Amino acid sequence: MSEPSVPQEQKGDLQQKRCIIADTEILLDGEGFLWHVGDWTEEIAEALASELGIGKLDDAQWAVIRFLRDYYAYHGRAPMNRDLKAGLGISLMDLEALFPGGIRRGARRIAGLPNPRSCT
Amino acid sequence: MTDKLIYLDNAATTFPKPASILNRMVETYGRIGVSPGRGSYDLAAEAQELVNETRRKTARFFGAPDADRVIFASNATDALNTALQGLLHPGDHVVSTRLEHNSVLRPLYHLNRKGILGYDLVPFSAKGFVDPENVVAAIRPNTKLVIITHASNVLGTIQPVQEISRRCRERGVPVLIDAAQTAGVIPIDMETWQVAGVAFAGHKSMLAPTGIGGLVLDRQLEDIETSRFGGTGIDSGSMVHTQDFPYRLEAGTLNLLGIIGLSESLDFLEETGIEPVHSREMGLLERLRDGLSELNGVELYCAQDLFNHVGLLTANVRGLDPSDVGAILDADFDIAVRVGVHCAPLVHQSLGTSPHGSVRFSVGPFNTADDIDCAIQAMAEIAGHARRTR
Repeated sequence: MSEPSVPQEQKGDLQQKRCIIADTEILLDGEGFLWHVGDWTEEIAEALASELGIGKLDDAQWAVIRFLRDYYAYHGRAPMNRDLKAGLGISLMDLEALFPGGIRRGARRIAGLPNPRSCT
Repeated sequence: MTDKLIYLDNAATTFPKPASILNRMVETYGRIGVSPGRGSYDLAAEAQELVNETRRKTARFFGAPDADRVIFASNATDALNTALQGLLHPGDHVVSTRLEHNSVLRPLYHLNRKGILGYDLVPFSAKGFVDPENVVAAIRPNTKLVIITHASNVLGTIQPVQEISRRCRERGVPVLIDAAQTAGVIPIDMETWQVAGVAFAGHKSMLAPTGIGGLVLDRQLEDIETSRFGGTGIDSGSMVHTQDFPYRLEAGTLNLLGIIGLSESLDFLEETGIEPVHSREMGLLERLRDGLSELNGVELYCAQDLFNHVGLLTANVRGLDPSDVGAILDADFDIAVRVGVHCAPLVHQSLGTSPHGSVRFSVGPFNTADDIDCAIQAMAEIAGHARRTR
């Protein structure tokens, strides 16, 4: 099975900033989400987690991060709410509690997925 | 937990639509779905007559004096852009409010940045209402227009547009209202209220499909200019876009399917009456407000008194990002709500809920008391879970 092409960066006019994370210069949007999905490494994930007060990512947190990245790599987009729940086998309430920043600003950001840009 | 989606995002788009409206839309479009008014064949004339009749129905619905001043647009945002860009000229000043949706704020900001106009935004009270006195006080000699939302899409508070319009009219300043949240649930009478214009969305409480809305004008705004320059089928030999109303402000083939839907929805609303719908929705909203206000860790905004409200309210769960609350409600409880700043960033700045906003619940004609009880129970579980895990 061939994988669809994966967008490697966000488009649009979100405010960008450059930061040094895990000894690497990274382009972030205004909310601290990676601009280039391909910039993500496990070291960067640990550094982003540390910013949220997580000393070291545990197995449960890594399972979430790997699911998000695998899903994004295959589908070219983040999972919908129901896909996230089914794929992880936990409620989103439990997922939210797993990361200090919650689902969007915690799990998704640490996993290096783009900041969702739906109309809010 | 239920086996169906509980839809509480009716302030964005009412869903579902009455089946009778959808069925008649498809039937009529299947029968006369040609270019209205184009060509010499009878079917085009029949389609045009349906468009004309829908303009007449719309004018009656809003108490407007002239069906030719019913301008069809894609939605309220499109109508407001047409109005603001067509009415305002270099040196003009506009008075508006901090309650506005970006459909007003962004065009004003854009025109201001281009050096075309200045504007002042009047604040709202702790209960979510604009004081007419503050609107009048903001009027300057060069104020060309007052534009105000009829009801806040974040707080649900209905603004005193009748008094504002009367007092502004005394000062010679026309008032345009954004009726996106009220058209279809709150009666609007332009002639009695002396309102110069109304922008409306078809897809919200008017129960029409997405893609149809409009701008209804009276003679106070006779000098509105087109901001698109072609072309209709009217005066096709001329290089200048026709100045006849309503075509002056419409370009290209109309959204006939949407207009048929609007026509059907106006018939539906006339038959059912809008006051009973609003009354029923407010009963559900009070039930929701009462339930949520008892929850530890849930904060409500401007909902203590629901008098002069439409059927929406906004809340937060302490310690949780509203976008996460929306995702949890969706995945764990099958409840659809709107989260974020609701395209009204200044309201959230004033509430202190920027930058992440809040969770908005908005009821519609098909919601039930059971839906509301499920939403309250879900919020209780989310808030309780947050307390235990934080």
